Amino acid sequence: MYTNAQYIAFNGVNTSIRVDINGVTSFVPLDPANTDYANIMQLVAEGKLTIAPAEGAQQ
Amino acid sequence: MSGTLKVTTLQDGASSTANLTFDANGNTTAGGTLAMSSSFLRNRIINGNMTIDQRNAGASVTPTDGQYLVDRWVASLTAASKYTAQQGTLTPSSTNGYNSNSLNITSSSAYSISSSDIFAISQKVEGFNFYDMGWGTASAKTVTLSFWVYSSLTGTFGGCFVNSAQTRAYPFTYTISSANTWTSISVTVPGDTSGTWVGATNGIGVRVFWSLGVGSTYSTTANAWAAGTYFAPTGATSVVGTSGATFYITGVQLEVGTKATPFEQRLYGTELVLCQRYYFALSAAIYGAINTYPSSAQQLASDLWWPVTMRTAPTVAATGTQAINSIGLTTQNKTSVLQTVNNGGIAGISTATASAEL
Repeated sequence: MYTNAQYIAFNGVNTSIRVDINGVTSFVPLDPANTDYANIMQLVAEGKLTIAPAEGAQQ
Repeated sequence: MSGTLKVTTLQDGASSTANLTFDANGNTTAGGTLAMSSSFLRNRIINGNMTIDQRNAGASVTPTDGQYLVDRWVASLTAASKYTAQQGTLTPSSTNGYNSNSLNITSSSAYSISSSDIFAISQKVEGFNFYDMGWGTASAKTVTLSFWVYSSLTGTFGGCFVNSAQTRAYPFTYTISSANTWTSISVTVPGDTSGTWVGATNGIGVRVFWSLGVGSTYSTTANAWAAGTYFAPTGATSVVGTSGATFYITGVQLEVGTKATPFEQRLYGTELVLCQRYYFALSAAIYGAINTYPSSAQQLASDLWWPVTMRTAPTVAATGTQAINSIGLTTQNKTSVLQTVNNGGIAGISTATASAEL
């Protein structure tokens, strides 16, 4: 169960996604081989999850 | 010729020394190099004797779908709370002395599975550890799966070999004749010459399921390759169908060839490192990555290195002695933990997990 997803950025570049996985705050790298990242991207594609932009990022 | 040939040496006619020497204690000595069609370190299953349990440390869990039970062993389920899982402890005599632990499944109710239900445990074998089987090619090799199993139920049980895309399946059956008795099982599977298998990658090379109850939609004929999404043979015993039923398993070995060899007992440290390629849990709080007593609040980063290169950049969860702001760039080798350290505070990482499971 993935909830509360938000990109984390350093120097303006997204490096990971902060997301609660079954209630545990976790940080998922932007790596297609990472199973959580693949699951998150599938949920996003299905319209079931939205990833908020990184803090300070332009909307 | 059949019967017993009694000799002490076998020697090639052109050799000056014996190729093989036998003694009265049943020992065999090779005079030269012993070449085999399979190698030592032949077991493609990791934590086959269920010794490593980084997540649960022996505690019982009622798993959700996709939850790991002991290291490398994952639960599949389509309805919650139908079984529990726990690392078990064995006496040396239980399974020929090869295994100290088992994975113990206990049914929580008498659940009637529907056609689309799936209850199973499985292990996903990384492509780098299975590509040499050549599955998906004309040269696909035969493999043999062996394990010890113990159940309060008797009858025909089942499992299945599945590819990464879940489009190829080889359901197999095995029989437990005596209840509450450790039973040695061996299943030989011809390599799949069709379908798409990932080869030498960090994806799923093969996934092996043990059914605890699978509905008709995902069950098909045993002992034959099938195109489609299947996880069990038709008619296999449903463990979740009987309240309190037990299903224990250990000594799981997957190797090339047609013969099951004795379980390959790896050193504990070796097995732990093999598991940590996929999951790592910090065993105790660590300090000293940053030794600082700032006079005002500062944001500081400390690197946390994994004990082994992980399969891919892992998902990280951590807590700290000071609030953790975020996790920085994570790679297969390390991550950076960012903390705001207050006046007089000490930066430290209290707990951390990294998951790069398949």
